[in-house]
Amino acid sequence: MTLWLMAGLLFTPLAWAVLTLLTDFVWGRRVTWVGILVQVFVSLGLWLTVAQNGGFYYDLGGWGAPLGIELRVDGLAVTFVLLTAAVASACGLHAGVYIDRHKSWHRYFWPLFWFLWSGLNAVWLGGDLFNLYVGLELISLSAVGLVALGGNANALRASIRYLLAALLGSLAYLLGVALIYGQFGTLSIAGVVLWLDSHSASAGPGLALALMVTGLALKTALFPLHRWLPPAHGIAKSPVSALLSALVVKASFYIAARLWLAFGESLGNQAAAQAVGFMGSAAVIWGSWLACKQVQLKQVVAYSSVAQIGYLFLLFPLTYSVSDSISLQAQQGITLQVISHALAKAAMFLAAGNLILSVGSSRVDALAGVSRFLPFSLFSFGLAGVSLMSLPPSGGFAAKWLLLQASLGSGQWWWALVLLAGGLLSAAYLFRIYRASFAEIPETDQFFHPSKSLEVIPMVLALMALGLGFVSEQVLSVMALPFAEEGAP
Amino acid sequence: MIRALRTCFIALACIAFSAVLGASIWVIAGDPGQGNLSQLLSENMSRSGVEHPVTAVLLNFRSYDTLLEIGVLVIAGIAGISMSKTTSLEDPELRTSDPLLYALQRWFIPLMLVLAGYLLWAGADRPGGAFQAGAVLAATGVLMRLGGIPMEFLRPGLLLRLGLALGFSVFLLAAVVSVIGGDAFLAYPPGMAKPLILVIESVLTLSIAMVLLALFVSAPVNDAEDPEEGDPS
Repeated sequence: MTLWLMAGLLFTPLAWAVLTLLTDFVWGRRVTWVGILVQVFVSLGLWLTVAQNGGFYYDLGGWGAPLGIELRVDGLAVTFVLLTAAVASACGLHAGVYIDRHKSWHRYFWPLFWFLWSGLNAVWLGGDLFNLYVGLELISLSAVGLVALGGNANALRASIRYLLAALLGSLAYLLGVALIYGQFGTLSIAGVVLWLDSHSASAGPGLALALMVTGLALKTALFPLHRWLPPAHGIAKSPVSALLSALVVKASFYIAARLWLAFGESLGNQAAAQAVGFMGSAAVIWGSWLACKQVQLKQVVAYSSVAQIGYLFLLFPLTYSVSDSISLQAQQGITLQVISHALAKAAMFLAAGNLILSVGSSRVDALAGVSRFLPFSLFSFGLAGVSLMSLPPSGGFAAKWLLLQASLGSGQWWWALVLLAGGLLSAAYLFRIYRASFAEIPETDQFFHPSKSLEVIPMVLALMALGLGFVSEQVLSVMALPFAEEGAP
Repeated sequence: MIRALRTCFIALACIAFSAVLGASIWVIAGDPGQGNLSQLLSENMSRSGVEHPVTAVLLNFRSYDTLLEIGVLVIAGIAGISMSKTTSLEDPELRTSDPLLYALQRWFIPLMLVLAGYLLWAGADRPGGAFQAGAVLAATGVLMRLGGIPMEFLRPGLLLRLGLALGFSVFLLAAVVSVIGGDAFLAYPPGMAKPLILVIESVLTLSIAMVLLALFVSAPVNDAEDPEEGDPS
């Protein structure tokens, strides 16, 4: 059964990418519905399997770790596979209605969408440094293609900038991989950890870890390397922006976090961990401040992503040379933050797309009066905002609570200040949008009503983000599952 | 002044980075290698179906990487053709009627096709394979295109998309066939490795050439574009 599920998980997105490449937009949409159904079913099945029996290593092609590639199917990986299934299917369903089907080039949305999905799954499951690089390339190139799709000169400019940033990040990562391979003679993460456990580390591979984390931070748009993100996420079509903010930046962060948790203790040092945490904090403050000053609605949401990504990098100082229980607390907090931000930000971008469609302008002040005409989309936007502001009972609240405990428990109280300030600032930029939408201007009564399905999808996602706080115990318990049998790389 | 300072700063940063990188490589190279990967590779070569280690790694041991890499190439091709919005890419103005070029082509094109075939076949036991052969094939196409030979199949129609997808689809089918027999994804059935690798390499050559050629031919031609979201159109 597990074999079938794994094969389905790897095969479906790639096969559907090919199928939808051969069809036009409308047929591609129908084919995609079937694919989404299969993919959700398979992801759920795999999650249940791991929740019951624990994680395992999956050898591709029947070749074991150092020679071949192994996939690490553990609780965290399947949680993210399931998260991807939820967010990507919501964006896919939304895009099927939202994107203009009369333009012939929009047919290429579907193959790029499916390739993106397969790249995400490859990254969540990857246990091999070079294979992770290939997964990153799959994600970056399809994301750039989606941003550029049928765009005008501005979209092309933003996507080229995105492409260059992503390529630079990939190259830095690849250089680090080459150094690691030179030192340890294996590309398997588990193999390197095994070697590090039994030997004392030498100074050489420290640079490798630094290079990889820097490259991945560039791809995740960590301050001060964030400048490419707002143009690309702001100018893409709303379902694409949702995919980019919710999932794509998380993939590179996920790799950085896995590397740090695996090698950080031996190859990292306290100064580097604090520096990364400091840049994350600067991202929280600076990103929120810039979000307050944007005139375009989607730019506000994009800068909010820069800020929310900052929180994720608090993982680095909060897991370095602290006790195991605090490290676990920090890891759980970050995982919840990734999940709740993915759900909330996808809901927010999709709702923002509906609002823009409705008022016919992308400016914040054009939203005046929209609260009477499109209350449902505005409500989804607001609910997603509750999670971003980390008010109880949302997933965002549970995440910040765990992070707060971890930072106080480890004696690094300064991160607690960042958490509090970030929450206040996010309230500031979100309430600015609500205020604009409740303003009444007499002459505006021309609103376009998007179809109901467009409005329902962000609502479902926002409710999931909100409800995550209630089920965080269950989610975290699957995440922390030990391996059923230790794979011997 | 500021510009000169900036150049100085960038140069210094580059030098410092190179120095640190050089030092790291020095340390790593001084360490005796721990990996026994090359030994492991040679032990398993007999089960890989080919004689050349690079091909064995690319198409058998780490075939998942290669499968995804082909996916990346297909994405590049899709992104390229998605930006060219004309139905016909055959611009008469781009054709030349240079008799010298035409005469040269009659010599070169058959030779290059033979070379591509040789590179493909050579991959089994020496450097070569689908990527190299595909590149030569694509170069042949570029030469034909520059010489003004019409290539109808490169219009962004179904035929082009079939060509882009062919190699990847065949590879993917070969990957999933083993699952039906209860084996892992991408595990070739015993004894079938050599023929399967040969088939995959051949169709990959075609598709790789198609991607490269499509990227060359489908440079964006007109300026039809979507309005930005929220712009009145």
